[in-house]
Amino acid sequence: MSDGVVIPQSPVGVQQPEADRIVRRPSVLLLLLREPSACVALMTVVTILLAALFAPWLAPGDPYGGDLALTLQPPGELALLGTDGQGRDMITRLLYGLRTTLMIGFAAVFIGCGIGAVIGFAAAYYSRLSGLLMRLMDVLLSFPAILFGLAIAAIFGPGLTAVIIALSIATVPLMARVVRGAAIVVMQQDYIEGARALGMSDRRLILKHLLPNCLSAIFVFVTLRFGQVILLGAALSFIGLGAQPPTAELGAMAADGRNFLFFAPHVSVLPSLLIFIIVLAFNVLGDALRDALDPKLNK
Amino acid sequence: MTKPLLELEDVRKLYPVKKGLIVQKEVGTVRAVDGVSFQLMSGETLAVVGESGCGKSTTARLAMRLIESTSGTIRYDGQDITKATRQDMRRLRRDMQIIFQDPYSSLNPRMTVEEIIAEPMVVHNVGDRASRRDRVRELLRLVDLAPYHADRYPHEFSGGQRQRIGIARALSVSPRLVVCDEPVSALDVSIQAQIVNLLKDLQKEFGLTYLFISHGLAVVKHVSDRVAVMYLGQIVEIADKKSLYDNPRHPYTQALLAAAPEPDPSRRTAMKSLGGDLPSPLNPPSGCRFHTRCPLAQERCRSEVPALREIGVGHRAACHFAESVPAFDRFRNGEGIHPRLQERLALYARHKAALATASA
Repeated sequence: MSDGVVIPQSPVGVQQPEADRIVRRPSVLLLLLREPSACVALMTVVTILLAALFAPWLAPGDPYGGDLALTLQPPGELALLGTDGQGRDMITRLLYGLRTTLMIGFAAVFIGCGIGAVIGFAAAYYSRLSGLLMRLMDVLLSFPAILFGLAIAAIFGPGLTAVIIALSIATVPLMARVVRGAAIVVMQQDYIEGARALGMSDRRLILKHLLPNCLSAIFVFVTLRFGQVILLGAALSFIGLGAQPPTAELGAMAADGRNFLFFAPHVSVLPSLLIFIIVLAFNVLGDALRDALDPKLNK
Repeated sequence: MTKPLLELEDVRKLYPVKKGLIVQKEVGTVRAVDGVSFQLMSGETLAVVGESGCGKSTTARLAMRLIESTSGTIRYDGQDITKATRQDMRRLRRDMQIIFQDPYSSLNPRMTVEEIIAEPMVVHNVGDRASRRDRVRELLRLVDLAPYHADRYPHEFSGGQRQRIGIARALSVSPRLVVCDEPVSALDVSIQAQIVNLLKDLQKEFGLTYLFISHGLAVVKHVSDRVAVMYLGQIVEIADKKSLYDNPRHPYTQALLAAAPEPDPSRRTAMKSLGGDLPSPLNPPSGCRFHTRCPLAQERCRSEVPALREIGVGHRAACHFAESVPAFDRFRNGEGIHPRLQERLALYARHKAALATASA
């Protein structure tokens, strides 16, 4: 059966109309850059990440020590974005706050969505486990994230670890539900049965067939959840369960500024604006990435 | 065609129906496949025909052990596969492949055609990367697609082309048995013929054995050597193609034959198509399962279950009156045409004649 096999290569000078028609699919990055909004989001995200990464080098001042003689300075020549209630430079605080906030967001989404995805796939693939796992998820789902924060802060003491653990736990059941729902739809497709008929391992079936076809649902949820987690983390810091002073964290900073909202709005508004930009950029990027990864939407 | 490649013996698949949220009570069983036996000889095509819900697809999946049978034995090449271990089954799966009905959901949209066709080889460790690449291109040519199609994704193809990709995937590991689960039902008629011819050519070339599932007898006539007709989870008639089409002995087979569309109106018969729906397999009728819809049903049919018995050479039917069922002739020329249809034809002839005189 292996005779007469000719692989279409392009010998010099030979016209090969078939080979000419092979159009290489553009890379994911290229597809992303075609969309203007995705382009902007990507640049914003990269800038935010770089800023957070190099905060100690970029920051003009000390995030913890301030000049108490120069509190609540409005943005101006003394400090480009002003100073906060304890005379600390806002730019420095924002850069360090960005680090903490992003760390909370990434850690909680990574841990929570990771565990949630495993549970979701297990519940969809092994139908025998489904009842037990999903009822467990329902139990978790019935507690608000703030309550988890309270309970875990009571055990470990308030701080970043408590926030990350609480938000991870709150993310697990949501992720598990999203993944299970998407996976169950995919499981009914013939190609899953075909994969079974081939006798492939469960591992290969889940990783090669189930997961890639659930990706769009997962992407939408993860990016959406990233924004929510940052907001929730900010809320936990706001009520004093999260980042403890003097740690810079965007939510805590927004909370600090609420007493001076009328005469020094920049103390609250700037960190809030930054949170807004982060959440928006990640959401737009996530949507664009989902489209770029879907072969059906590639033109 | 000497020894059976696949043999089913009294295979059953029962689904318990449960009620209750916490304490589940069994309230009944759906008898999806209820005592099916047949032999599939090496190199032949056995078609399994029946209306939707009769258990033909379930039978196919049972034969491949994609679902576990409740009871009965399934022998592949003489080996009972109902008790085969996972490892044994894995090895056997290389030998038996499946082609699906729906060309849209049977190909993973996230994989390129090359990945799809090469996957059975990857799973069964056949060849290395380069030889698999060559094989994919060879297979594409075999199913009348072009090698440059290998880098594309399934959504870039039409239904017929996708079905060809599915066939190429099934053939990539050189199987002996191919289960075709209504491979042409989702395609339009012109494409159906292409795919059927392709399947026939491939069978001739590679000595494949087909278990061909279909809901109509028309397509089957072209591909099969033998035909089994299923009704409500049981085989009601099984025979070689010629005797089944020329001399159907079960009233249900006759009804199925009569239901096949006939393009020539002058050859349409007045045989009434079956009324009613397929009875629920949850609570099948007593006696002969077909008696509720059978035009010839008698008292005995209500109480006594007919056995699938030999009524001719290689021809078995499950009807008490298999010998006395009136002969079926769907092509009784002229006579038997519905009076309404006759009126219409006369009207048309008159109209034509009037047009002819007017223009002359």
